[in-house]
This record gives sequence, structure tokens and C-alpha cells, in this order.
Amino acid sequence: MYLESRRTFLKGTALTVAGAAIAKGVFSTDAVAESVKKSKFTNTPDSLSFYPPLDQWEGFQELDGTDWKRGGINRHGVQSEENPDGIQVNDYMIVPTACSNCEASCGLTAWIDKKTFTVRKYMGNPLHVGSRGRNCSKGYATQSQMYDPDRIPFPLKRAPGSKRGEGKWIRTTWDEAMSTIGKKMGDTIRKGDELSRKSVMYHIGRPNENGFVPQVWETLGLDSYNSHTNICSSNGRTPTIWTANDDRTSPDWGNAKLVFLNSSHAADAGHYFQQAAGYIADARKKGAKMVVMDPRMSNSAGMADLWIAAWPGTETAIYLYLANRILNENMTDKKFVRKWFNWETLMGDSEYLNFMVERGYISKLPEGRDFESYLEVLKEIYAPYTLEYVVKETHVPAYKLEKLYEMFIWAGDAISTYVWRATAAGNRGGWMSGRAAYFAIALRGAIGTEGGTFFHHWHVISVGGKGGSSTVGQGVAGADVPKVKVWNELTWPPEWPLSTYELSYLLPHLLSDKEWQKKWNDRGLNVPSKLALYMPRMYNPVWINPDGFRWLEVLKNEEIMELTVNLSPVWSETNWYMDYVLPTGLAGERHDQHSEATIPARWTSFRQPVLRVALEKSGWKPKNPNRATLEAHIKAGLGEVWEENEFMFDLVVNYVDPDGSLNVKKMWESKRHPGKPVTIAEWYDAAFGDNLPKLKETATNDPRYANEEFPVYAYLRDHGTWLEEDKIYHAMERELKFEDGEVISHGHKFAASSMSVGAGGVISAKDHEGKEKKIGVEIDGKKMEGFATLSKKLEFFTQWAVDWKWKEYAIPFYPRNDEEKVQMPHIVSHVNHMYMKAENEFALNTVFRLPYNIHTRSANSKHLMEISQNHDPIWISTVDAKKLGFKRGDAIRVRITDSVSGLESGYFVAMAVPTEGVLPGTLACSHHGGRWKLTNAVTIPNGVSDGKVASSNAKPDLTSKEFLGESPANAGRAGGEIKIDDYSGTTGINSFGVPVAEIQMDGKEGKLKYVEGIKPFHAERFAEYNRDSGNIWWDGLSGSWQNAVAAAHPDPVSGMHCWHQKVILEPAKAGDKIGDIFVNYDNNLKVYQAWRDNLSRGLDSNSTIRRPRHIKRPWVSLDPAAYDVSIKS
Amino acid sequence: MDEIIARSNLYALLSRILLQELDVERLEIVRNDTIILEFMPHWRDWELREKTEAKQLLEEYLNPDFTNLSLLHLVPYETFYTRSDQMIETGGANPVTDIYSAYDFLVDYTVARVVSSDHIGIEMEFMHHLCEAQLKAMEEKDHEAVNELISVQHNFLNTHLLRWAPMYLINMKYEARTPLYYDTAEMALEFILSDNETLSALVQA
Repeated sequence: MYLESRRTFLKGTALTVAGAAIAKGVFSTDAVAESVKKSKFTNTPDSLSFYPPLDQWEGFQELDGTDWKRGGINRHGVQSEENPDGIQVNDYMIVPTACSNCEASCGLTAWIDKKTFTVRKYMGNPLHVGSRGRNCSKGYATQSQMYDPDRIPFPLKRAPGSKRGEGKWIRTTWDEAMSTIGKKMGDTIRKGDELSRKSVMYHIGRPNENGFVPQVWETLGLDSYNSHTNICSSNGRTPTIWTANDDRTSPDWGNAKLVFLNSSHAADAGHYFQQAAGYIADARKKGAKMVVMDPRMSNSAGMADLWIAAWPGTETAIYLYLANRILNENMTDKKFVRKWFNWETLMGDSEYLNFMVERGYISKLPEGRDFESYLEVLKEIYAPYTLEYVVKETHVPAYKLEKLYEMFIWAGDAISTYVWRATAAGNRGGWMSGRAAYFAIALRGAIGTEGGTFFHHWHVISVGGKGGSSTVGQGVAGADVPKVKVWNELTWPPEWPLSTYELSYLLPHLLSDKEWQKKWNDRGLNVPSKLALYMPRMYNPVWINPDGFRWLEVLKNEEIMELTVNLSPVWSETNWYMDYVLPTGLAGERHDQHSEATIPARWTSFRQPVLRVALEKSGWKPKNPNRATLEAHIKAGLGEVWEENEFMFDLVVNYVDPDGSLNVKKMWESKRHPGKPVTIAEWYDAAFGDNLPKLKETATNDPRYANEEFPVYAYLRDHGTWLEEDKIYHAMERELKFEDGEVISHGHKFAASSMSVGAGGVISAKDHEGKEKKIGVEIDGKKMEGFATLSKKLEFFTQWAVDWKWKEYAIPFYPRNDEEKVQMPHIVSHVNHMYMKAENEFALNTVFRLPYNIHTRSANSKHLMEISQNHDPIWISTVDAKKLGFKRGDAIRVRITDSVSGLESGYFVAMAVPTEGVLPGTLACSHHGGRWKLTNAVTIPNGVSDGKVASSNAKPDLTSKEFLGESPANAGRAGGEIKIDDYSGTTGINSFGVPVAEIQMDGKEGKLKYVEGIKPFHAERFAEYNRDSGNIWWDGLSGSWQNAVAAAHPDPVSGMHCWHQKVILEPAKAGDKIGDIFVNYDNNLKVYQAWRDNLSRGLDSNSTIRRPRHIKRPWVSLDPAAYDVSIKS
Repeated sequence: MDEIIARSNLYALLSRILLQELDVERLEIVRNDTIILEFMPHWRDWELREKTEAKQLLEEYLNPDFTNLSLLHLVPYETFYTRSDQMIETGGANPVTDIYSAYDFLVDYTVARVVSSDHIGIEMEFMHHLCEAQLKAMEEKDHEAVNELISVQHNFLNTHLLRWAPMYLINMKYEARTPLYYDTAEMALEFILSDNETLSALVQA
């Protein structure tokens, strides 16, 4: 119709009025358009996942994000003199570092605005093969932590004359603190006796580095390193140690067909969360299935193909059900099992075979001792784990278990798994679930395969402590460092000889239990009763460990803990009770070599103080090369914030052993500059260069580093990450290498001439000290490295466990009936349903966390706090809530009771949330809530008066010669105290997330009650960054400090604190408020003692060594003699 | 020469009516210019056009209709029609913006009062500017530039306006409640179709 009616538009001039007079005139071609034309910017980026290429990192221009919201350059143009209202262009220097807010070490890049010398944002590092340029919310939080108005601005000292916990503080200098600490350490070491070498203790949360700090303590000859691992993951590690003598598994998520998560770890939170979740998503995109086994419906469980809510601690039975069906339905990968199971060890052990007959594991001795007979033995052992039995024991419906089996078989040898957190960390005997899981997986041959599950040590780089060639005394990779000659019973008590890591959470119990000390001293040991120095690092043991009031008791006791120091950038519950709080740096403020097994490859991150690196790359030189990081942070206005590496170098050389008489000064003395501490560049150039050959070759042949004094260090400084080896599968099949008369296995060298092949094909050879070691295995004529076990195979029969009194648990096992459950309490959870007698008794799952929280340091990030205010409720199933009459929002008392001693610990008050997302009979309430502080703010005078120095005279600007030409004089020394910008003399304490509480404690009972939530405030420090601190809408009251109520539950085998609790629910009483706690910590000591005395199987008069020599005894290398022990009867 | 002036003026007229409510000054042009009225027969014959005082005509008749046609019930933006999710691309990824930028044109949003540069009124005004540029090139006898500008107009019309504006204009015609916007819709639709024929002939020549 339009064509028909078309008119002639173009006759004549059409309109008498000129178009220009009619048109609106919406286009401009003025300065705005000109500014866009001149710039390189566009409104249409090719890709949102853009990162600038490496060669632009030293100077990258980008439009300002805040302005960008105004609509892009086509609306306002680019800022210039002619167009002042245009969008600002930032001139960045991009410096790589690594996140430190969980253990995954994802790559980060700091985008440093040259004009203001501030970090404007943290992004990912696209060069990092594990994190691939991505980060979770915790990674991006690094910036808010860096500019936290409450961050500790200078070294703090408890005010003279005040008591610990009184909250009276003064400013001190790094030098004064180091003099005090160094003298205390030096005096202690100088005594030279056994006890003194156990009397200094360093205590960490996540190390987030590979070997540096342990090396410090090793060079000092102290058995002083204490980690938090036993409140975290020991039960997760014990099964891999028993099976493969490896620290943990390393799954190949990205290529798996079945992603089998035991608990919410990996895809939800925790272990390598961001990287693992990304690879799991990749696998699912390719068609992989995901199964989540967890009594609580986690985020992962909610999106899984199958959610299996097993009763806590019964998961082992499910794995053994799978094993039963695999074996008896002939789905076993016989080739793999014959090659890599230590079946010959079992079939050659008549005594154990007889024991299995006695215990009814098998009905009679096998007729033969060959492989087929072995399979028959296995079939018989695991036949009792029928569907019927497992349904009854686990409370999982039959159809789900059958579906699981189908998926398990469908996935072939591409099954990736973690057995971590809930099952492992929560339950007594939780370690056995991992053992059974790996057994089922290995029966299918899914070990070391593409998409399968492998072990940690092949996928990690640990060189942070191996820069010894840069020092006068350590030798290459620390070869000349004497081994530590003592054994510290405070970390490795005799009751738990197989504990996977230190019994760190028992420290206050061991220090205050005089009976225990006397008992072992009377039996010939030399147990410390006090510590000369207790030095946690960025760790908050008071809040995170069980039985927190006992921690407070011991920390306050100056006779037991003579000097206490926390190397910590933030306030915490623990810091309030310290003598010194020394502000060391966060992720973008410290050096660490950090590698984790997140993919089947060996990569490392290089964590760096980004502002220091930016200064140095711009031409700045520190006044004191040994305090460059401190000087840089002062220049950047962060305050007198340092880092551990330089602190430790300086401490040992100049304060612990200034005259060298202790023989430790030389260990950290620079070879290039004798008398001075080693520098960062010297140390890391050696640490990386001496130990990573591919990196050294790459860096030293790279023309960009041809003129660098430290090319390997410089390469890492610029890239922030390195991939030494990729696609590591079936590494146990690597053949032994022969070179110059030496044979190399797992990176260690042995004398080739001393090689011999023994029973089971195990190859032995002598090391450099002449000691015979098992170095590999010969199978079908091929000499391979094998696993790190004694048999070099997967030990599903752990023969050495028999010698260490755990005979009945030497194979994967779970009680087959109620009678056996009573007989075998060590592998039955303390919250098994058999312990639940009344309607209001429940198993409480405490061990899960929010993906965006980081324990202590979360409270220093506004945006992490803002997104995590969920009241940390008690998840209770709808049927249970109905039965007990609880409605959503009700306050309930959660009374914690112990199924071993029958004692009650006290209670916490929490908010009920009935949900379908939790298994009936069980509850869930994360133990990561309940932060507290005793006051909102504390006055610590700046100490700056006339004569004190400004942080910088020149305006901060990386392009200014004047700014780059100056550096603070006497950084860290008396007279060098800088004026802290915008600091009035009073600092807030964790103002974004921690409410104020009142505490009462009398030595036996303790109480905590919240009195005030957090409030909006005006931030003075870093005011521009924190300009919306007045918009806080949350009160920070999230959860209860339930850790304080929990008694210590040491697993008799692994030493893991078994976090789950048997609880009794009742309505809140008059006066109860959500968040309240009451603790009978006198009872808690008795609970711990009951677990110790009724369940552990410790050293006795027959013992000759403290622990099997072949399994890991982490951190410091011990002299073999330190293992020797003689216990009086 | 007359032809290019006519095209330029028509694009200017249509762009203005379609972009914003008319102001009194332009209303007077539109209701008095005989040639314009020739293009808009229903508007021409509408008795209120002459009888009603300008302010009242705008406030009580024309502006409510315009609001309905371009803000409330219909969406005069290209990306609404061309994106599968029917979202208006207000940010940097709008392809029309790139074309404007390529010829050093930048929309002044304060003046335009639109959410995105692919509004029908803006696209029409862009065509008007291209015509003006062509006119200037013709006056300067820069044949190469003339050919180039004809090609640009043809291309812009085919890759943008013609791909979606007919849909909007047909809807506008049926939704319109005043003769002015009814006629404008019909005229605009017919004009861009006709102009395509004109430009196609020139490009082929």
C-alpha cells in the first residue's frame, strides 16, 4: 500500500523553511568530540575479559570507572584541558601479586594510580594458570583491607604497668620491639638445653607460603613451628598419608566426569574455592556430573546432580558400599589394582590375615597368596556393606545410593574428589572416610589419571625456604643448616604419635595441665611448662580454637607465656591480650612464594608488596635496603607496616644473634654484603633460581632481564607467577633417572651404585648421609618412582599402623553392626545417631563457611561484611522444628554435651531457621560467626610531636622525581616515627563487622553477652576510600562465639579437633539473647582429658621412637636422634 | 541541487517531530508552512490546528500524544527492535554510536534528552547532517566526497533506519491519536522508503 501511495517528496525545494532551522541540533563536534577522537578509547571493547598485555603493565591508561557510569565517552568525552568535564583517564602501573585471603593463592594485579600512588583496584593476574585472571569476592577485598581505617598503623606495645587484656597500649618502634623479642629469643637459645629449644613458639593460621618461615626456625635450631592444621584438615590428610604418604589429594577437576565432593569444599568455599569452582564449572560444561555429600544443603549441593545427606560420620559406609559393588560386580580395574595396590604386602602378612579371620573380616584364610586370591579376600571383607545396611546406618535413601553407584561406574577413571571439611573435620574417625573414598576410587583406577584424583606433592612447588645460597651460612637450598635436635611435646604430644599435624589447639590445655606435664616428666620426657616467647602470625587462636576461655586464661598468665607477640595487620580477639602487635602486611604488602595443588601442574605465585615494587620500578631506592618494604609503606601512607620476610632477616641477624656467637647470624647474613641481612632480591633469586631449572633457563635467557642483577627474581617480580611443569598425570610411573653415578627419585639424589631391589620390587639406595632409603619400585622390569609409601604402592593395607597399635584400622573399614560400633569408637563419629537418645538431641554440623569470609580478616573489609550478615542461624529440619515447636527467628539454647564423658560444656543462643536443606536429626550452624571486641575504639597516642617526621614531603606521585628521590630516614627506629596521616590518636576496632561484648570469666566458667552492634561512622584514615562508612546498615551481630563453648575433641589417630557437637536444644530462657554464650571450661578440660585417656593409644615403655620416621613431620627437619625416645614404665 | 536541499529539509523536519515535543516556534512552522501541510493532509484538515492557541494545542493534544507514542507505549529505539532481548543498548556497545563517532559526530544528550543515540529522531537528524555535508561538497564540486556521502547515506539507511523504523512507524500510525503524529508516521515511512529508491539509483549510477 505504501508503494501505491508514495508521494513525490523531492519536487521543488520541498520545504520553504531550511532544515537547519527546524532540526533540534543534537550533534556536537566541539571539544568533547575532539577529545574522543584524540584518545584511544572506545565505547565498544572487544571483550569484557580484557587484560592489558604484559608489555603495557608499567604504564597502562584506562578510563575511570566511577565516571564511566555517567554513560561512556560518547556522552562526556575524555578529560583534557579543553574538556575538563570529560571522563578521567587513569595512568596505572600494574604490579602482580597473589591473594592471601584463603589458601588458594590466586593471582592478583594491583592497579596503582601513578598520580596518587594508591592502589585503585585489585584485579586478577591473567598469567596465573591456576586462577586464570579470576578472583572471588575475597580477592577483590584486598583493596578494602589495605585501606581499612582501623588497620594497625604502627607497632603496638602493651602499656607498661598494665595487664594483658586491659586494653592499654602505647606506640613503639620496630627496633624496640625487635630488641625485646630478639633478646628474649637469643637468651633462650643461648641456654642451649633441650627445654629452651622448645620454649619459643610460632603459631600460624594458613601459612600461605612454602617454606620460608619454617626455614627460619630450622636455622634457629628450634622445634617451635605450630600450625592450625589440626582444627582444619588433619582428618582430611591422614587418609592420604596412610594410603600414599602424601599430604592431601590433588584432583583434576577440569577434566573429571564425576566431581564427587565430600562436603561443600571446592565448589562453595575453602580449599582452592575460586580456582576449583572454575574448573568444576568447566567440567560440568563438558558433561561432568557433580555429587555432593553433605548433611547440609550447601550452595554446591543445591546445584549438584545428586545431593547425598548422610548422617555425619557414616560416609565411610557409603564408600565401602561402592567398593562392595565394584568388587562383587567385577567392575574393578584389575590392571591398575594389580600394579599399584600393595596387595603383596597383605597377602604376605600371615599374621594379619589370621587377625582378619579372628575379627571376622574374612571367614577363613585365603587358599592362595596370588592376586586373584587378594581380590577374593577384598570381596569378602566388603560384602557386608550392603544397600540395606548402609541405608540404615547413613539415613540415605536407597535410590540415591544406587544412583551414586551408576554415576561412579559411568565416570570410569575420571573421578575427582575431595574429602575435606564436614566429614573429615567434623567427626571422630572422619579420616577413615577419606581412606574408604580413595579405596573405591582406586578400585576404578581413577588415580593419577586425566580427570582423576592424584596426590599433592607432585603438583606443588616449595622453594620459599631454599634461597640459602644467597646467605653466608645456609648453603645451597639450606644444605648446611643443622637439623633440629629436639622434639617439642607441646606440639607433638606423646598421646598422638601419628597425629597428622601439631596438636596446636591443645596448647593452653597442655601448658596449664600440670598433671600431664608431671606425668611425662616422671616418665623421662622433658615437657615445657611455659613459653619464653609465643608469636602467632596473622592468627587469632582465641576466637577460632575450641575452648576459647582457656586460651584467654593462658594468654593472660605472664608466668606461662612470658612474652607474646602477634605479627598482625588487624585487631583481633587475640591481639587484645598480646604484649606486642606488629603490623605486617596483607596480600599486596608482603613477599611470599606460594604454590598450591589446584590443577595437575606445578605453578607458583610470587606475592609482593606492590607499592614497594612500583616505587623500585620507577627508580626509587630505599635508604635501608633491608627495610625497603617498611620504607615503601611509609611513603604510601599505610603507616609503619612491614612484612615478615624482611622482619625475620633483620631480627635474626641484628637482634637475636648480633655478634654471631649463636651461630645463627650467618644463616641470614648476605653473602654479597657480609654483616648485613640478606635482601629480598638476593633471597628469592636464589630460592627460585637454585630450585626451578626451567624458570632459571627462561629468566636468564630473556633479553628483558639481561641487565638485571637478579634476573630470576626480576622475572617473578614482573610476572607474579610461574608454571614449571604442566599436565602431570600418572607421575608414579616416572622412571628413575640416572645421572653422573646418581639415581634421582622425587627430586632427591641417591648413590646409583648402592641400589638394590627387595621384596615387592621395592628399590632401595643410599642418600648422601649414607642412609638407606626406599626410592622406587620395579614392576614388570620397569624401575619407577612409585608413591611415597614404604611399599611405593598405594597402601590400602597400612602395615606400619599395626606397629603403632591401630591394627584393626589398617585397612579401610567401618563397623558392620551396632556391636562393632561400640567396639570401634575410634572410627565412629562422636555424633553418631546411636548417641542421640532424646527427641531434642541432635548432631550439630559446625564446619562450613561462607564463600566470602576469611576468618579474622573478613571483619576488616566493608564489602565482605556487608554481604555476609546472615545471623549465622541454626539450620533445623522442618520436621524437627515442628516437633519441638520452633519457628523461624526463635531464639534457642544449644547445649553442647559430650558423648565420651557425658559432661556438658555450656550453651550458646542462636536463631532457629527451619529448612528442608538439612538432614532430619542433624543441625547446621557455622562456627565462623560470633566475632567480638570489648570496646569500639582505643586511644593510642600518635606519639608524634615536634621533631617527628612526615611520611613524605613531596606529593605522592610515581612520575615525580622529587617523590622518588626521597625516603624516610631511620624507618622503624627511634626518632624515625612517622606521622600517621589523618590519625587522631584514637583508632576504631574492626568497625565494619565486630560488635561489642562483655565477658566474664572466673577460671572455671565464662560468659559472653553482646552489648552493642556496630554503627555508621565517619572514617578519618583513608577517608576518600571509606567515604560510605556512614552508610553501614548492619549491626554485625552474626552468630555466637560457639567455639568457646566447644570442648577440645582430639581424634585419637589424627589429632584432629573433631568439630561436630552433640547438642540438646531447648527454648531460650528469660533474659537470653541470640549470641549469648555460657561455658563451663572446667568441664571442657575434663572432656578433653576423657578423649585423651579413653581413646588415644600413645607412647609407652615399649616405644623406641616418637613417630614413624617415614611419614611427614612437617615444617622443620629433625635430626634422626630427635625421634628416639625412652619412656619409663 | 534542489533535490539534496529537499532531502535535507525533510530529514530535519521529521527528526524534529519524532525526537521531542514541539515547541511553540516550531509548531507555528509546522502548522503554517503550506508545503509541510501538503505532506500532512489530515493535519492540514484538522480544525483544531488553526483554531487552537499554540500552548493549548501542545499541552492538551499534541504533547500527550507524543508522550504516548515515544515514551509510554512505543519504543523509538533501534536496539529495541534489533536485539533479541529487546533491551535498549544505552552504553558503549550501541553500533549506531560507532558510526556517529566515525564521522566525528557526538550526541549531546543534554540537548537530545534520549536514553540512547539510536533514537529515531537522532538517526533522522544524522541523515540530515549527511545531506548537508553532501550539499556542501556539491557546492565545492568535490565529486569524490559527494559520491562517498551518498554511499554513506545509502548504507546508513539500509543498515539502520530501514531495518527497524518501519515497524515503529506503522505502530505509531495506528497508535496516534492526533492528525499531526498520524501524518508524520505515514510521511516518515513513505519518505525513507522513497529516499532509499533515490539513493539506490544514485549509488548504482
